[in-house]
Amino acid sequence: MTTLPSTDVYDSDLRRRPLITEFQNFWRYRGLIKLLVVRDLTVRYKRSVLGVWWTILNPALTIAVLWIVFSNFFGKQGELDEPYIVYLTAGILIATYFTQGVIAAGSAIVNSRNVLIKIYIPPEIFSLSAGVAAAAHFIISLVPMLLLQVLTGQGIPWTVILVPIPLFFMLMLVTGLGLLIASAAVYFRDVIDIAKVITQLLNYLIPTFWTIDFISDSPKALALVEGNPLYSFLVVFRSWAYGGPDASAWLVGVMAMSGLVALTLGVYVFSRNWRRVVVRL
Amino acid sequence: MTTSFPPIEGHDISLRYRLDRANVRTIKEATVQTLRRQRTVESLNALDGVSFSVKRGEIFGVVGPNGAGKSTLMKVIARVLPPTSGRVIVRGRVAPMIELGSGMNPELTARENIVIYGALLGRDPAHMRDRVPAIVEWAGVEEFVDVPTRSYSSGMLARLAFGVATDIKPEVLVVDEVLSVGDKAFRAKSQDRMFELINGGSAVVVVSHSLPLLRDVSTRAMWLDRGRIKMLGDATEVLDGYRASG
Repeated sequence: MTTLPSTDVYDSDLRRRPLITEFQNFWRYRGLIKLLVVRDLTVRYKRSVLGVWWTILNPALTIAVLWIVFSNFFGKQGELDEPYIVYLTAGILIATYFTQGVIAAGSAIVNSRNVLIKIYIPPEIFSLSAGVAAAAHFIISLVPMLLLQVLTGQGIPWTVILVPIPLFFMLMLVTGLGLLIASAAVYFRDVIDIAKVITQLLNYLIPTFWTIDFISDSPKALALVEGNPLYSFLVVFRSWAYGGPDASAWLVGVMAMSGLVALTLGVYVFSRNWRRVVVRL
Repeated sequence: MTTSFPPIEGHDISLRYRLDRANVRTIKEATVQTLRRQRTVESLNALDGVSFSVKRGEIFGVVGPNGAGKSTLMKVIARVLPPTSGRVIVRGRVAPMIELGSGMNPELTARENIVIYGALLGRDPAHMRDRVPAIVEWAGVEEFVDVPTRSYSSGMLARLAFGVATDIKPEVLVVDEVLSVGDKAFRAKSQDRMFELINGGSAVVVVSHSLPLLRDVSTRAMWLDRGRIKMLGDATEVLDGYRASG
């Protein structure tokens, strides 16, 4: 047995300080977060015969199907400078990161119920871990995308070193939205199903497999697409990862703001409700 | 840690659950029920004005019929549930021994699980990695340290989880019916470990339905009934009183 110095004092009268407590918890539990992410990856790896390839295969099949169906339609009128397959892959990767991240972070607290009703761990740790795991899957699937860029002659520009920036703000976005969903999911279990539908709809609203020229005649449609925060992530990612059309400073700002706002809001709402949330778990 | 204060203090703790008669779990149901004006939400006082304290080296037994609030009290002490009103203060590290094995992933090996389970209990992963040999030795599963725990027996899992939870010298040990799992040898072994911790100055709270066990181990006891304290004091008196009530 080892004796560790202990200064822990739990006083139920000490309330959470919104945002401060949560960010302190994220830092304090960083070791656990790392372990949970590794566990998520290893369990997925061990459970399926395909192992880590599943992470790549799943979007790869989607991309293959969309490419077969749409490659003769989009990118043929010269509206794309890049190969359609690269354009499509970037779109699917961002959409997958967003959907899987939001749903995983949103389900994390309900799914960790067995642990949370027995051991004290700040529940928000599980949502952040799920978001980080989604980011890890995104990084893994970047490898075949970069390979595609080389194979198609698109190449890899130096701006690829900036890709961690959209990756990071997306992590903030999915964790923030995930925490909002997670708080509500404790009350109503169908919140997750509704969130799945909404994230799917949001994904259709950004040009993943279709091109923006397709709707450029309709100002209303354009406003709907460009007003979607996900659009900024997609444009910035395409620009930096493979040298797609330049992302305006405005879009980079929109991307950063949506990450910051979502995370602040999600953490704040969770902080204000966590007592009710844990009692309802 | 300040030694002059008791490790566990509970002041007038109440915990209210919202009880939904219709057990509404989805937005759809909630909307329908609200529209029909059938939604009735009642509240249940799982704990109602409970005050007590547990000193260092004390083994505090908690008894009471099902639904008395024993497990809720354990969760309040283990920080899992914040009290609705009143105040609880716990000084020092808490090793919760509430239903072992949760937090163990069957797909992972004992080694991986020890590190994760330890981290879930708030311990440093690097430190846990160093403790793996000692823990598996205590649990008697050295040969299976790199085997996924899905092939473990429930006894092996219980020993492993108990070994991790008691690997530190906690100031507070919360035990909920744990000692009744496993075979005779494990029960003896875990009781020995528990006494080791108590002699080291831990405050222990034990919930059990086994009165003989509580009589053997506890120094003080509390009898809970429908969230309220029915009796609090010397273990023998309280346990006798509870037994006499049928």
